[in-house]
Amino acid sequence: MKKVFVLVLICLLGVVFFGCAPKKIVQPQQPAVTPQEPRERAMEVEPERKTSEEKITEQQLAKIETKEVETPKYIEEKIVFEDIYFDFDKYDIRPDGKPALHSLADWLLKNTSGRLVVEGHCDERGTNEYNIALGDRRAKATRDYLVALGVASGRVEMMSYGEEKPQCTAQTEECWQKNRRAHFVILKEKGK
Amino acid sequence: MKRYRAKDNKHRGGSNRKPFILLTLCSILYALSVLFSAEAKVYIDISSPAFKRLPIAIPEFYGPSGKEISDIIRDDLEFTGLFLNIDRAAYIETSSQPFNPKNWSPIGVEAVVKGSVKEERELIVLVSLYDVFEGKEILKKEYKAGRDLIRPLSHTIANDIYSTLTGEKGMFRSRIAFVGEEAGKKDIYLMDWDGKRVSKMGLIKDIIVAPRWSRDGTKLVYSAERNRQWAIYLLDFVNTREKKVFSSTGTNIVGDFMPDGDYFIFSSSKDRTFDLYMMSLKSQNTIKLTSSQSIEVSPTVSPDGNYIAFVSDRGGSPQIYVMKREGTDTRRITFEGSYNTSPSWSPKGDKIVFSGRRGTNQIFIVNPDSTGLTQLTTQGNNEDPSFSSDGRYITFSSDRDGVKGVYIMRANGESQKRVTLKNIKAFGPRWSPN
Repeated sequence: MKKVFVLVLICLLGVVFFGCAPKKIVQPQQPAVTPQEPRERAMEVEPERKTSEEKITEQQLAKIETKEVETPKYIEEKIVFEDIYFDFDKYDIRPDGKPALHSLADWLLKNTSGRLVVEGHCDERGTNEYNIALGDRRAKATRDYLVALGVASGRVEMMSYGEEKPQCTAQTEECWQKNRRAHFVILKEKGK
Repeated sequence: MKRYRAKDNKHRGGSNRKPFILLTLCSILYALSVLFSAEAKVYIDISSPAFKRLPIAIPEFYGPSGKEISDIIRDDLEFTGLFLNIDRAAYIETSSQPFNPKNWSPIGVEAVVKGSVKEERELIVLVSLYDVFEGKEILKKEYKAGRDLIRPLSHTIANDIYSTLTGEKGMFRSRIAFVGEEAGKKDIYLMDWDGKRVSKMGLIKDIIVAPRWSRDGTKLVYSAERNRQWAIYLLDFVNTREKKVFSSTGTNIVGDFMPDGDYFIFSSSKDRTFDLYMMSLKSQNTIKLTSSQSIEVSPTVSPDGNYIAFVSDRGGSPQIYVMKREGTDTRRITFEGSYNTSPSWSPKGDKIVFSGRRGTNQIFIVNPDSTGLTQLTTQGNNEDPSFSSDGRYITFSSDRDGVKGVYIMRANGESQKRVTLKNIKAFGPRWSPN
């Protein structure tokens, strides 16, 4: 029985001695005056510490090869159509844009050779990525309107530029309005 | 006494095993205690909201470039907000003198970093970290690096000091990728998190949208427009290669990587309206995750890979939603304001940071269950936020100083500072995962 007690005692002592450092200690407040005499460090005989070493390297980034050899297959015709405009964060066609769309549709129905690109643009106030989505929706709403007016859907492409190609860079509502637009470009195949 | 003994004797048969069990128990306890005592003492409990800043002294390192190296270490530690840097003017002991705690405790210093530098074919820096209270050395290490890697070298030392004192991994060697524009030309740029060592990739694109890191930090996926086509590209830093991985008619925008590094998610209007898709780089398989008539854009994957946060205007205005990765169980998490976009998860998955419009665009954090909305910025327009790998910092873009630039701040909104120079118009920053 005594043996058991001794064992328990040894174990407890072991736990107290070696296990007393809790996982996290927040440093106690530093005394304001000079520190006390060097503490007793009988228990802290540390083995000679071996200095660890580290060699710092970095992956050298070689120049990335950009393989973008595609050249545009189409060129822009020099025909200018009126832009149509949108409200902030909206993509429905406003009544003031409809006359321009009607005359564009008329032109497309008379001139059947070129392809139309509807570009959707936004003002800078929204965030970049959402603006690209919004520009896409403006282009789609515009395209849907033209198709409803009889333009063959296969002739109308959509392209969103988000806020990346502003017409105007002042921070005024007048300028922002100019940027919230659908812009029209007629493409012709190269060499034709 | 006798009675007890008798009782003891009576039960002797059954208690024969007791010493053995006790012994086993004790050995387990003992082993555990040794394990725990081997774990380092933590000087700053950074998980505690009431931590005290640790007063630290970093005297100029002795030897060539000693000042530059020790200044970088000091600036790194200072930005964390966890240390109280004691001014060098108060020191009476230099890096080359032997450490004496009596020189430090009167000025309130609790930890001292000393170092000496030798310049041979490369820089060799011997660093010691001292605990003033205990009067002992708690870190001693030698670092070697080419002269051109003096900043990564110093950041590595700062990482070791940080982890010795906090028990957590430092982020001082992390980098930030962003889209930059100089003289009207856009490119993807990489820089150290502190804005130094800026380099550009040399990509030929017209419009580039925020790049996204793979979880291992070896790849970036990004979307770009060129010749009237939106495509998704992969930059592979191991093979230093660029590859077009997805294109179609319509607009295609990433997105985020799944944790496995093979699948990535993106948003595409290839089927007329924006929806979310997942694609495997290896098999090129594409899975459609959402089907709606509204805009679904800017998907970001939770750290465990099980949830996707994204922006949708299905409720009439752009708001942030969370769904399971399969596209089910969708719920809205932002309810204040009519324009909330650009979500990004914290590395622990307990927060989502995003840009919300309140007259101007500001950075907010919110819990994935839609509680705990907190605004972190107030000046100018602030967009494209993302967390550092340890979740303690956030990078974002801002126009508060006129030219759009990349900023960093602590995750509670403190210490906001610009890290890119004004000669580059910079946006869409993403903190590297390592």
